[in-house]
Amino acid sequence: MRLAIQIIKNTWAEYMMYRLSFVLWRVRSVMQLIVMYYLWWAIFSETQMLFGYTQSMMLTYILLSAFVRPLIMGTRTQEIGGMINDGSLSNYLIRPLHIFRFFFFRDIGDKSLNIVFAFGEIIVLFLLLRPPIFIQTNGEILLFTVLSLLIGMIIFFYFSLLLSSLGYWSSDVWAPRFLSFVFAEFFTGMLFPLDILPAPLFFASRLLPFTYFIYFPLKVYLGHVQGMQLLQGVAMGLFWMLCMKTMTDRLWQRGLRVYAAEGR
Amino acid sequence: MTTILKYFRLWIKLTMNSFLSVLSSRFSAGLFLLGKSLRFVFFGVFLWALFTKVTRIAEYSFLQAMFFYLTFTFIDTVTQLFFREVYRFRQLVVTGDFDLVLVKPTNPLFRALAGGADPLDVLMLIPYVGMLLYLMMQFRDITILHVVTYVLLVGNGLVIAAAFHILVLAFAIMTTEVDHAVMIYRDLTSMGRVPVDIYRDPLRSIITFILPVGIMMTFPAKGFLGMLSPWLILLSLLFGAVFFIICLRLWRFALTQYASASS
Repeated sequence: MRLAIQIIKNTWAEYMMYRLSFVLWRVRSVMQLIVMYYLWWAIFSETQMLFGYTQSMMLTYILLSAFVRPLIMGTRTQEIGGMINDGSLSNYLIRPLHIFRFFFFRDIGDKSLNIVFAFGEIIVLFLLLRPPIFIQTNGEILLFTVLSLLIGMIIFFYFSLLLSSLGYWSSDVWAPRFLSFVFAEFFTGMLFPLDILPAPLFFASRLLPFTYFIYFPLKVYLGHVQGMQLLQGVAMGLFWMLCMKTMTDRLWQRGLRVYAAEGR
Repeated sequence: MTTILKYFRLWIKLTMNSFLSVLSSRFSAGLFLLGKSLRFVFFGVFLWALFTKVTRIAEYSFLQAMFFYLTFTFIDTVTQLFFREVYRFRQLVVTGDFDLVLVKPTNPLFRALAGGADPLDVLMLIPYVGMLLYLMMQFRDITILHVVTYVLLVGNGLVIAAAFHILVLAFAIMTTEVDHAVMIYRDLTSMGRVPVDIYRDPLRSIITFILPVGIMMTFPAKGFLGMLSPWLILLSLLFGAVFFIICLRLWRFALTQYASASS
């Protein structure tokens, strides 16, 4: 536990060393939120109900997606690809702590710091914009929201590790990540709820793991997914979690066999 | 004239090098190309999905919204095509390798700003221009004056984009921070994917006249559709020129602050 806390503290210290960089990163997040917020605000100025959403539900979705995004997708695991390529991975392989665990705690540091700032930003935006938001009070739904957030977090953690593992076979680790980001931007529901998409595209999105990063937890929070649908969704999330973990573990083990510590 | 020719030849040489560098990894280039195409398509699908339920957003029809989006994409892609080197500038500053640029008999701004075009963006421009021309032909009552206004305002948008990139370079020298600064520019301009009129005041006024995203991205399409008064057109051209001059002065000041760290 002490080790975990130390890794988290180190991650915070690293961010605080490059304060301006961190501040600019947060500015970016706020700007992305504002764009989508105003877009939806404009759309709802002419109608009360759209795609089955009221204005308050849609604006709640957009505001919460800005909060959930760093929680699920805030990660430092992308560094591993570069570490494989320049051979610095060797330093981590000889440590008495598995590299996945090390990065898991590092991610907790990353997520916690981003969430603190995201929370502050959302409060400021809330006070400035005074949006009509929807507050969920059902304890059971809130519990399932937390559960689905945890599932999303773990799926994303392994997904990101999977992408970094490609570094064992290719020095181009950024290109697959860029492509995955483009997919994630659309299919996680970070910009809009996925059920506004045409039916075939929405169906396709539900077959992908991205759905469980942002869209599913927020739909649970809004109370749109209940009963059997909710259990099915959680089961699918757990299935993806297991799949992603198995695939990542296997790929990582194979990668270690071909790892030559080039650059060292 | 000789100087322009010299820089043109230099730009061709740097661009050829950039092409060779990018194409040395075709797999990676393919993935980037696919990612860029999908990003364009996905936002288009989002807009289309919206217009299946509403006929207009802030008085704009689907056709008009797509025209605004394509104009944004065109300006954004041309900007990335020419100013890709800005994304690599921080490395030059933090390692002190910018010294090597400063001692060369060329303008350091030219090297930092336009030191090699991105071949992937050249490829992306082909379908964008095709779609833009197709969309332009869908609008009725368009005269040659509208087309001239559009070309003029797109040019003005590119001048403002160049000025923004110069600002980012100056910021990089003064703070060694450029990665997020250039991405903030990208996020800021992404507000122009839709007409800036949809945003509410004070945001609308801020991104039109203080951070000139509206002038850059929305005004050209509005000019083409005849939604701008001649005064606003003149004002926006003046704004572009003044903004460019201010950014150039900031760059000159930033150069005096360069510390050659780590060299």
